[in-house]
Order: sequence, then structure tokens, then C-alpha cells
Amino acid sequence: MRRFVSRYVAVVDAVNYRVGRVAMYGIFVLIGILLWSSVSKVFFLPSLWTLEMAQFAMVAYYILGGPYCLQQGSDVRMDLFYSAWTDRQRAWVDAFTIFFLMFYLGVLLYGGIDSTVYAFEYNERSYSAWRPYMWPIKLVTCIGVLLMLLQAVSELFKDVAKIKGVSL
Amino acid sequence: MSPEMIAILMFSSMMLMLMMGQRVFAAIGVVAAVASLSLWGTGGSDLPFSAAMKLMKWYPLLTLPMFIFMGYILSESRIADDLYKMFHVWMGSINGGLAIGTIGLMVLVSAMNGLSVAGMAIGATIALPELLRRGYDKRMVTGVVQAGSSLGILVPPSVVLVLYAMIARQPVGQLWLAGLVPGLMMATMFILYIAIRCHFQPHLGPALSKEERDVPLAEKLRLLRAGVVPILIFATMMVPFVNGWTSLVESSAIGALTAFMVAVVKGRMNRSVFEASVRQTLAISCMFMWIILAAMAFGAVFDGLGAVGAIEGLFTDQLHLGPWTILIIMQLSFLIMGTFLDDTAMLVIVAPLYVPLVGLLGFDLVWYGVLYTITTQVAYMTPPFGYNLFLMRAMAPPEIGLRDIYSSILPFVFVMILALAVVMAFPKIALWLPDLVYNK
Repeated sequence: MRRFVSRYVAVVDAVNYRVGRVAMYGIFVLIGILLWSSVSKVFFLPSLWTLEMAQFAMVAYYILGGPYCLQQGSDVRMDLFYSAWTDRQRAWVDAFTIFFLMFYLGVLLYGGIDSTVYAFEYNERSYSAWRPYMWPIKLVTCIGVLLMLLQAVSELFKDVAKIKGVSL
Repeated sequence: MSPEMIAILMFSSMMLMLMMGQRVFAAIGVVAAVASLSLWGTGGSDLPFSAAMKLMKWYPLLTLPMFIFMGYILSESRIADDLYKMFHVWMGSINGGLAIGTIGLMVLVSAMNGLSVAGMAIGATIALPELLRRGYDKRMVTGVVQAGSSLGILVPPSVVLVLYAMIARQPVGQLWLAGLVPGLMMATMFILYIAIRCHFQPHLGPALSKEERDVPLAEKLRLLRAGVVPILIFATMMVPFVNGWTSLVESSAIGALTAFMVAVVKGRMNRSVFEASVRQTLAISCMFMWIILAAMAFGAVFDGLGAVGAIEGLFTDQLHLGPWTILIIMQLSFLIMGTFLDDTAMLVIVAPLYVPLVGLLGFDLVWYGVLYTITTQVAYMTPPFGYNLFLMRAMAPPEIGLRDIYSSILPFVFVMILALAVVMAFPKIALWLPDLVYNK
């Protein structure tokens, strides 16, 4: 069991680290799309695709970056009491409250899969002049939420290890 | 159960979960998910995900990572150092002059980014040590940096007003213009306070010594060139936008590129600056986006309940309160909540409840956006939860203790509340500029 757990944590953390590091540079993709949009608007005909492409890039940026941020602990917490606790106490409380996070992510994923399957079946397109297919961005969102869920489990394992005083 | 009861239950369970220290977005999200599932069964299971799609369609949100990126470029590459020197030389000769110069610096930094973090970082790392070395009172200095950096969310571009615009469904451009005059007014009030205080108590902010003041005029003029950078960044962003050549979002990308180019040209862009600004942009953007995502689901449940209408009915029909009384009660409760609630959570959670209520009462939502932002500024600074307080604690030199930080903000909070009251009493201060530009 312990071997499985430490293997799981290592693999999930490594995958999410890499995904997050790639997503991190998405900011330049975003800047690039928006700059092209301004250039084409001022000098040529305005591009049809830039607005929605930027929105898709933005969603991919924060959804795929999410697990990495969870791993790095950059999400804010309300630390009225939290800041006064010891590492072990924090691990104890987190080991319970992380299930709230998992529940939320679970509902998010459930709704996401529902919506993605629908988009696939009916070839759902966006209501705009460009009319892009909707399934790719929905699929990316589902993958991101799934990775987030896997990362949440990894955080739970780390907390339990901390409580037991073992190193993974 | 009545809608009011469900609303109260949702709020209290969220507060409880926040108290346990779990991530803010998880606390908000789980309450939204559970509420929607138990109210609407399996039909409610799609609600959190459709919030993600709704979020995607909201175009001005794209400015958020852009302004965060700009802010980090600015603070990490330290291109503002020269700016500080400019104020230092020009303002040093009067009592409290360096503190006044720091406020001026903060206004310029605020015009280049939309959060208070950049101003905070620049103030704490550049201005703070210099001012302490020159014998300024440490409480005066910490207060100045914190108050000044909070202008970042009121002076355009402002990330807080972008978020407010999303919740209130108001145009971002008008909101930004509305924030400009109150922001400058507040900066002026800070400066007046410093000048008057240092006039009567010169030991709080002594003028520079004769030798230090003796800078040749040519050197003084050369330093003025530092002021070109913020004007350049602000202009490349705002000129195409105001002329209608580009949209707000496109302008923000141009601004991000300009800030990046300035850092490169000035030779300040190296590997570690690049890494730090790109990584922190992701961290802060993700933090905001996941919270907004959860809060939109929360807000959707609220809309579905019709809870806002029920609360409005409670105030006007059952308690017979006038709109102004309700507004003042709301601002007061907002201030009190702001002192103990996490700021980001407050921003996205309290607003969906308050903003529609203000609309129902017949107030102008652009004007309320300014009130809302000033209140958030105060909340940013007041203990025990203040984003700025935490940042200050992390960035300040060791001789500044927590007690100093807490007591330093008091006079500035009074000035801010005064500014809030003035804008409340004279809505024209906020609405004059947007009315002029948009010819309402």
C-alpha cells in the first residue's frame, strides 16, 4: 500500500508539474492572439476567430494551471486560525476538509462529462460568425478538472503521511 | 424552507468551512454544489460546470491575466526604481516630502497595473528602506506604502473593477473612468494629511539635509525622464482604447507587451525575473479564476432562489427603511465584514448579494462600483485579514513589527472612510468623467 501511495504521489505530482509548467507559458499565447487581433483590426480586416480563440486559451490556461497551483499551495486560505496551527494540526484538518474540495471537483467533472458528450453527439458549435466546435475546449476543461481531482488525492496522501510521520 | 433561510444556511456553512482553513474556492464551490444538488436534484449537477462556460464567455475577464502579468513585470524587473529617484530628488526638500513622493510614485504605478501587489512590492522594497534611512518615522512610512498601494485597485486599470463589472453587468470602461477622479482625490487627501502632519511634527518626516538636496539642475531634469516610462505604458494602452481602435482586452495585451519591452530595453529582463513573473502570473490568475468559477456557481444558486428580492422586501416592506439608510447600513456592514473576512472571498461572495440589492433600490451601479472599491481598499488594509497587511509583513524590513504595521494604517483608514463619505454624498465626483466621455 505504501509503495502504491508513494508511487501515485510521485507520478501525479510529476505529471501536473509538467502540465502546469507548459500552461504557464500560455500567457504568451494569450498575448499573441490579442495582439494579432488588434493588428488585424487596425491594419486589415478584423479576424473572426481571435475573440473566441483567446477565450479558449484563457480557459486552458487557468484550468490546466490549476493542479500545479494546488500542488504549489498558491490558493488562498482564510488563515484566521489556520496560521496559528502547527504543520501536523493543519494536516489533520486538511485531511478532512479536502473531501469538500473533491466533492466540488466531482460535481464539476460530472457536469463537464455530460456537457462534453452532448457536444460530441450533436456537433455543438458556438453561436458566432466563426462557429467553432465546442467539444475541444470542453474536453480540455474535463481533463483539467480530472487532473485537479488527482492532485487533490495526492495532497490527501501527503497529509496522511505527515500525520503518520512517514516520508513518501 | 424559505429562500431567506436557505441563503442564511448557505452563508453560514461557507463561513464555517472558510474558518477551517480549506482553500477559499473549495469552500465556496462545495456549498454551491451541495445547494444546487439538494435544491434541483440531478438537474442541478450541471450548474458548477455551466459556470465555467459562462465565465469563458465573459470577454473583459481576459484583461485579468494581462494586468497581473504587467504588475509582476513591473515589480520583479524593478523598472520603477528610477521613478522613485525622481520623486526623491524633486520632493525631498520639504518636510514629509519623501512620503508625499511615495504617494506620487504609487499613483503612477497604479496607472500601470490593476492590483495593489505591484505597488506594495515596489513601495516595500524601494521606498521603505530609503525613507527609514532618512529618519522617517517607521509607522508613518508603513502606512504610506500600504495606503498608497491600495490606490492600485481604484485608479484605472483596476482588476477589482473588472470583477465588479462582471457581477454588476456594467461596462468596464465607464467603471474605470469613474474610479479615476476619486482615486486622484484620495491620493490628494493622503498627501494633505502627510503634509499637515509633518508640518506640525517635523520629526516624523524630516526634510533632506543640505548636501543631499544639492543636486545639479541638469541631473534633476535628467531624472524627470523616468516619468516617461509610466506615461508611455499608460498611453500605449489607453490611446488605442479611447480612440476606439482596439477593445479593452486588446489594449491590455498591448500594455503587457509594452511593459515587457520596457523591461527588456532597460536591461532588467533576465532569467530569474522572467521565471518569477510568469510563474506568479499563473499562480495569481489561477487563484482568482478558480474562486470566480466557484463564486459564479454560488451566485447562480442565489439567482435561482430569488434570495435578493426576498432580502430587499425584508428591508423596505417590513422594516420600512429608506434606500439611503439601507445603503449606509450596507456600507457599514461591508466595512465590518471586510475587517474579518478574506478579501477575495468578500469580493466575489458579498458582491452578488449587495450589488443587485443596490440596483433594486434605484442607485447608479457605476457609482456604487466606486464605493465598493473604496470599501474593498479599506478591507485590504484592516486587521486581522488584510491582503496588504500580509504582504507588508512578508516584505518589510525586520525592525518593523506587526504592531507597527497595524497601528500605521489607522490614520489612513480614517482618510479613506472620509473619501468614501465624500463620494457617497457627491456622486458627481465619480460620475462626472464617464458621463463626459460617454455623453450620457
